Order: sequence, then structure tokens, then C-alpha cells
Amino acid sequence: MAEDLGKIAESLIAGKVEDVDKMTKESLDAGVSAEEVLNKGLIAGMDVVGQRFKAGDMFIPEVLRSAKAMSAGMEHLRPALAESDTKQAGTLVIGTVEGDLHDIGKNLVGMMFEGAGFKVVNLGIDLKPQVFVDAVKEHKPQLLGMSALLTTTMPKMGETINALKEAGVRDQVKIMVGGAPVTEEYAKEIGADLYGANAASSVDKGKAALGL
Amino acid sequence: MEKMNQTIQKTPVFRVLTDQQIEKIYYSALEVLERCGANVFQDEAIELFKNSDAVVRENRVRVPVSLVERALKTYPNKITLKGRNGKRSVALQKDHVYFGTGSDLPFTYDRETGERRRTLYKDIVNAARFVDYLPNYDFFMSHGIVGDAPNPLTYDRHQFMAMLEGCTKPMVVTSVDGEGLEDLWKMACLFQGGEEEFRLNPMFVAYIEPISPLTNDRTAVEKLLFAAEKGIPAMYTPCPSSGATAPATIPGMLVQSLAETLLAVVLCYLKKPGMPLIMGGVTTVMDMRTTTYSYGSPELSLASAANTDISKWLGLLMFSTGGCTDSKTVDEQAAAESTLSVLNAFLSGANLVHDVGYIDSGVNASLESLVMNEEIIGMVRQIGKGINTDPEYLALQLIDEAGPGGEYVTKDHTYEHWREWYFPKLQDRSDWETWCNNGKKTMLDRVKEETHRILDEYEPEPIDDGIRKELKKIIDDAEKRHSK
Ligand code: B1M
Repeated sequence: MAEDLGKIAESLIAGKVEDVDKMTKESLDAGVSAEEVLNKGLIAGMDVVGQRFKAGDMFIPEVLRSAKAMSAGMEHLRPALAESDTKQAGTLVIGTVEGDLHDIGKNLVGMMFEGAGFKVVNLGIDLKPQVFVDAVKEHKPQLLGMSALLTTTMPKMGETINALKEAGVRDQVKIMVGGAPVTEEYAKEIGADLYGANAASSVDKGKAALGL
Repeated sequence: MEKMNQTIQKTPVFRVLTDQQIEKIYYSALEVLERCGANVFQDEAIELFKNSDAVVRENRVRVPVSLVERALKTYPNKITLKGRNGKRSVALQKDHVYFGTGSDLPFTYDRETGERRRTLYKDIVNAARFVDYLPNYDFFMSHGIVGDAPNPLTYDRHQFMAMLEGCTKPMVVTSVDGEGLEDLWKMACLFQGGEEEFRLNPMFVAYIEPISPLTNDRTAVEKLLFAAEKGIPAMYTPCPSSGATAPATIPGMLVQSLAETLLAVVLCYLKKPGMPLIMGGVTTVMDMRTTTYSYGSPELSLASAANTDISKWLGLLMFSTGGCTDSKTVDEQAAAESTLSVLNAFLSGANLVHDVGYIDSGVNASLESLVMNEEIIGMVRQIGKGINTDPEYLALQLIDEAGPGGEYVTKDHTYEHWREWYFPKLQDRSDWETWCNNGKKTMLDRVKEETHRILDEYEPEPIDDGIRKELKKIIDDAEKRHSK
């Protein structure tokens, strides 16, 4: 069986989405525990992808393929993992704040989190604080991400945090903010928990903050 | 005696696309507009399209070729811009190249701390002064965004005021929305002698962008329609990043951004035929290691030059990009990247080359970068002078006179012609000892000194007190409207 899980890892590294999808399901059907498939298959593969990306041997289009494969595999594993109480990456809700239409960076961050095993709810762009509040209530994410690319829309991130406080759900999530004009200091100033400078480091910080 | 059948090339000739390649791209863009179309999220625009031959399904607009071609015939081939000092100094027409800054950089390099910080009103006044002072800059965009304006919905008025304070040259302006553009236009009209005069002597071009791929948001369209109505020159400039918001192949990116441009061409035509629309495009790649929208890539230069070829073929004026870098600071990388894009944009014959001086991939502002690019543009313009092969320049007589083993330094011919060369201001061509005695300064040292000197010394022509009052009134009124 370990050999098969190695194949899942290999396929994931190679970005073969359909193969990973199929093999994950087959392993589960064959009775391998979800936890084992996750750790020895998907995560083992994604660890290599992460290392290669950092070393400059893999690039964004390849990493995102692998992330997609990870996400496809996770679809099968999530129910079983929940049942067995296995520690797993949770949910990220992410969106671009009100008045801001930039979405490339935010989407990339979302995809990279999928690569780390998160379930990602991408709310879109130009979102009023209330939309974030509602989404936190509905999806109960571990992590809430806000993106702003304009100095003129950055304050909306603070407003959203205040709205979460008012709605009494601020403490249920870790909040990460990012975008070109956003800085670590600014994140602190508005009471966010985490600042993400780029997609890859955001995932590292997010995982660390959640103890993953 | 003059030779028959001669062709003289007065300046370098540079093209990256043949007519046949352009046709392929153009026909493909037409296909995109008929087959896929674009999303338009603005009511008036949707109405205009509905009342035309376009096919509208909810917000998706598809446009037949005939309508595109009718619209294309209506655009002016020449637009002359006049600065606030009354000089008609920028005459946009085919193959006439003008250089200027970019806009809205959230950060500014702080020369006291060596760190970056938020851009403030005073930084924009300073950038304006530099562009006013440095002769190789023809037009001004704000360089930075005013971080200390009272309200995000009215910052554009303050930004324009800062621009006017420091610079008398023609401008390209960004605005929050249609209402913002209207205020900026009113402010400009104060200098130009009213709305009608502005139409003949516009002081600025409005910078407007679609969202690649093929999306037109409400505020962008609102601005475009306002510009069309009032005859304000405007560019609708796609900013696709190849591999992220456009195909990873340059021709694919060009097809898509041309389709985006043509949609605006049709929309403006439907609103008001003949409005002064300028084609644009910041066409670059997303760096696949860092995700950065690259301002220093060779692909930016290549795709931009191709876009300029297309614009000339279509008979549209072109807004292009150069003099910018991904480097975080003014260094070797900044110099190399800026030079490459300035040279390519210049040779391509683009009309307004913007973003000169951008560092940190369009996030950070630096006066030093403006000063360094002044030198780069100077060198590049020299290449543009080309080679003159008239007898005076072939200098046969002179070569004969000097003879084998002779000299030229003392000749009248030299005395008369050497000034045609480019004379660098900041580049060092001295000998080693002189260089050592002068403190072993690097280019960057000299750039910094020159930056300090201009900052300390240069005073732009002030704004007339009467006009200043009226400008202030427009800004105050906007603040009042938005404080409610
Ligand atoms: C949740 O946690 C996290 C964690 C990390 C997070 C995160 C969230 N979000 C981002 N990150 C981080 O990880 C990502 C991946 O590595 C990174 O995301 P980024 O988004 O930074 O990176 C992307 C992968 C690539 N980068 C980008 O895609 C942005 C590139 C630049 C050039 C840019 C683009 C492309 C666009 N723009 Co705009 N744009 C600029 C940008 C300059 C720049 N270098 O940032 C910037 C941001 N824009 C600016 C401006 C002025 C504007 N733009 C506008 C529009 C657009 C386009 C539509 C043309 C297009 C966006 C298309 C799209 N679908 O997103 C207008 C505003 C529209 C609106 N209301 O939002 C308009 C106002 C222009 C106008 N006057 O019309 C400037 C900001 C000015 C300011 N106020 O601060 C600007 C810095 C460029 C400039 N110098 O003018 C990190 O930041």
C-alpha cells in the first residue's frame, strides 16, 4: 500500500489532477485510512512541491497544478478525516474588500491554500464588511483572508474587522490581510493577526498560526 | 549629382510585426468580439450597445465587425496637448514620441531614512517639479498617490492640485470615478479658458482601464463616457498579465487586449463619434516565481512595441510603457531594465510613454529614478536622430584636407558638428585619477547629488492667485459633497 501512496505523491508532484483524484478514491475504497492517504500521499507530495518551489525548481503554473490535485484529493478525504478527528487544515474564506476590484493576487493566495489542504471559499471582489461577517458565520472558517491593492481601500479591512467584532465572531477566526500597499505594521494597526506578503509565505504563516 | 531611385532612412526603423501579422491579430480580436464578447457593468453603456448593432445578453456584449470598422474610422490622428502655462508642447501624431511618469504609487523612497513610506501630497509636488525641470520629460502623471488626502473618494482632486503646483507640462490624470474626472476637467478648464477651449487645447488625457480579461466595470465606463461627452482625450488601457489574466503567449495577450480596446472604440463611437480616444496597453507577464506583475521584463518591451505597431496600422495614437523596473531600489537592475524599455518604446514610435521612474514593480516612487531616466532618455533620443548621409556629413572634402596622419580636433567642421552629439550630464567618462580625486563617485552617487540639487533649487512657475482660489473652491465643494 505504501507504494501506492508513493504513486499518489508522485502524481501530485507531476500535477496529474485526474490521477490523484482517482487514486485517492481507490486507496480509500481499498481500506487505507484517510489519515495515511493524506500524510503519505498528498502531504508527502505537496512537501516536495513546496521545497522545489522554494529552491526555484518548480514554478507557479506547476505548483498550482499540484495544488489542484491536492484539492481534488482532499474532496475525498475530508469527510473521513472529520469522522476520525484527524487534525486537518481547515477552511479559508478569502475576498477582496469593498471598492477594490483587484483579484489576481487574492485568487493565487486561495489556490496556494488549497494546495496546503485547506478548503477555500473565495467570495470574490468589492465585498462589503457584512459579506465577510456573513461568510464567517456560514462557513465557520479557521482563517479569514482579506486582500486590498489600493491605499484607498485598505481602511475597509479595518472596518471589516470592526464589523466582525460587533457581530461577536472576531475571535472565532485568525485574520490575514495582504496586497501590494499593505504592510506588516498596517496589519497590526488594524488588529489583523497575520500579514501575507506573497502567496507562498502566506500559506506558511497561515499554517503556523493554526499550529499545522 | 543626386542618384536616382534612392531611399534615405533618416531615423532608425523598428518594427516587430509585419502588416500580415497585424492582420492576423486584428482579425482574431474581431472574432473575440463577435464570439465571446465582453462584460460591461454600466447601465448607460448597455443601453448604447442595445440601441446599436451589438448583441447584448444581460451584461455580455458582442459586437459585429461592421460596427467595429465603422467606429474605427472616426478617431483623430492628432491630438495636441497644452500645459497650464499655455505651451502646446505635446503634439501626439504617428511616430512622435513623448515621455512621462506613471501614477499612483502607494510608497515613496524616503531619502532621509533610506526606507519606503506612504506617498504624501508633498511627494507629488516634488515629482511634479522634477518633471517640470527635466527637459526629457514631456508630460506628467502623478508618480505617487496622495496618502494624506482627507477622503478616499476625493483624493484625485488633491492629487491633481499637487500636480498643478509643481508642473506646467501637459498631464495624464487618474480619477476616482466619473464625478472625479468631471472635477479635474473643471480644474483644467480654469487654465485653458473654458470648456470649448479645452476641447481644442486639452491639458490632460484621462487614464482609464478595463479589467482583463474582457471586463468593463462601472466606474471605468462612467469615466470613458464622460470623456467622450466632453471631448476629453482618454486612453482605455488594458493591463493584462500574460499567464494570469491573458494567454501566456504574447500574440494571445495582444489579441485579447486589442479586443478590449476595440470594445471601447465602439462604445465611445456610440456615445460621441470622433472623441479623442488613445489606444493603450501595459502588456507584460506575471513572473512565475514570485507572481509579480513585471515592469522590467523584456516581454513588456516586446509586447508593447507590437501593440504600437498595431496602433499605427489601425490609425490610433498609442499610450505605452517604459523606464520602469522591478528592482526595489535604483540600482544596476533598475538601469538595465529602464534602458531596455525606454529604447524599445522610443524606437517603436509610441506616442505617450509612461511609467518612467517606477521602481518596485509599480509600487514605489523614487525621484532618483526620474533623474537617472532623464539620462537614459537622453541617450535613447540620440539614437533616434539616426544617420545623415548628406555630403556635409560624409565629409569627403574634409578627409581629403586632413589627409593620412592628419587631425580633426581643430577643424571648423568639428567645431560645427560636435554639438550634435549627446552630452551626458551624470555619466562619467573621466580618467581613473580624475575619478579618484573627485571622490570615486558611482552613477548612483551622482544621481543622488543631482536629485538633492533639484529638490533644493528648482522653483516652478507659480499658479496665479485668482485661479488658485477657484481650484480650491472646486476641491472644497467636492469635500462637502462627500462629507455627508
Ligand atoms: C488574505 O491574505 C492575503 C495574503 C497575501 C495577499 C493577499 C491577501 N492579497 C495579495 N497578497 C499577496 O499575495 C499575492 C500573490 O503573491 C500578491 O498579490 P498582488 O495582487 O500584489 O500580486 C498579483 C499576483 C500581481 N499583481 C497585480 O495583479 C496587480 C498589478 C497592478 C499593476 C495592477 C493591476 C494589474 C490592475 N489595476 Co491597479 N494595479 C496595481 C498593481 C501594481 C502592483 N505591482 O501591485 C495597483 C495596485 N493599482 C493601482 C491603481 C491606482 C488602480 N488599479 C486599478 C485597476 C487595475 C486593473 C483592473 C487594470 C488591474 C487589476 C486586474 C485584476 N483582475 O486584478 C484601478 C482601481 C480599480 C479598483 N476599484 O479596484 C486604479 C485606481 C487605476 C485607476 N485610476 O483606474 C495602484 C494602487 C494605487 C493605490 N491607491 O494604492 C497600483 C499600485 C498601480 C499603480 N502604481 O498605479 C501579494 O500582494
